[in-house]
Amino acid sequence: MKLRFVAAAVVLAVALAGCAAQGPAFQRAEGPPNSAVIYVYRPYSFFGSLIHPVVECDGQSAAIEPGAYHAFVVPAGHTGCRAGTESEDEVEIDADPRVHYLRERISWGWLVGRPHLDPMDQDQAQAEIQSCCVQQP
Amino acid sequence: MSKASQPVRARRRLALAAAFFAAVLCSGCSVQQPAIAGPKQADAHPLPFKGRLIGGDPGELPPAVAMSLSRDSQITFSYREELTHDEHHAPMLLSAIDPLTYAGYPMGEYGVTASASLLISDGDRVIGDYTASSRIEKPYSLLSEPTHRELDEAARAAVRDAIDRKLYNDAGRLAESVAGTE
Repeated sequence: MKLRFVAAAVVLAVALAGCAAQGPAFQRAEGPPNSAVIYVYRPYSFFGSLIHPVVECDGQSAAIEPGAYHAFVVPAGHTGCRAGTESEDEVEIDADPRVHYLRERISWGWLVGRPHLDPMDQDQAQAEIQSCCVQQP
Repeated sequence: MSKASQPVRARRRLALAAAFFAAVLCSGCSVQQPAIAGPKQADAHPLPFKGRLIGGDPGELPPAVAMSLSRDSQITFSYREELTHDEHHAPMLLSAIDPLTYAGYPMGEYGVTASASLLISDGDRVIGDYTASSRIEKPYSLLSEPTHRELDEAARAAVRDAIDRKLYNDAGRLAESVAGTE
């Protein structure tokens, strides 16, 4: 009985560990002058971990796994990011040449989890993004 | 009434009831993205003087200021706007097991606070300094979900309207101040 419990716990631990993104730790992205960097990061959460909605920012796109981030380097100016499954979230960014942070989060949906892109302030985002690794293509 | 028509009627009633329940269920399935109503806006009209924009985006101004721009005025406008976001979310496990979630009870809430400041100067002399802030809060649920963009736009519109109201209330003094320098 005990052996079965231990085996189940090991299988569960392996399964959960397998859901988190693997890759190099956070590294600051550099863009050309007069560009802005938009970091979209997704802290690890078991809920919705199998869903990887495509995030689009200024014509670029990336599907971000739980525990990963992607740095979008975009020309300075008005731009926007969006992600959607059965509903869509959209954020408008006044991308003056500096760094912006969006945290991707999956909430419940009727059939599939819904992505949310929460604009974050720099202090909180910098602390949270350290635990995320670079999203591998 | 014939005995043969009774089962037909019963079947018809059953079909109607099923259709009604299906309609109720399906109406709950579509995610509504409601228009976010801000406060009633002041009727925008130009200020009694023109000014030159030296700070801020010409496309992102309170309407009264946008209507009063001139490239060659000695009066200057400097406008700045900032948004701060916050949100809270119910724990996902609790939302999942709460039957109210599926009836449209909020799973969390988004908040946006817009802060704005407008400085009106005549050369080195400040003739008007206005600040305002506004807050928009909106819950989200399985049935209704605002986007961050909609919230931001509502918060921006509200804070611009607040600046406009302050300007209109102070328009007489501003006009006198500008006239005194011309």
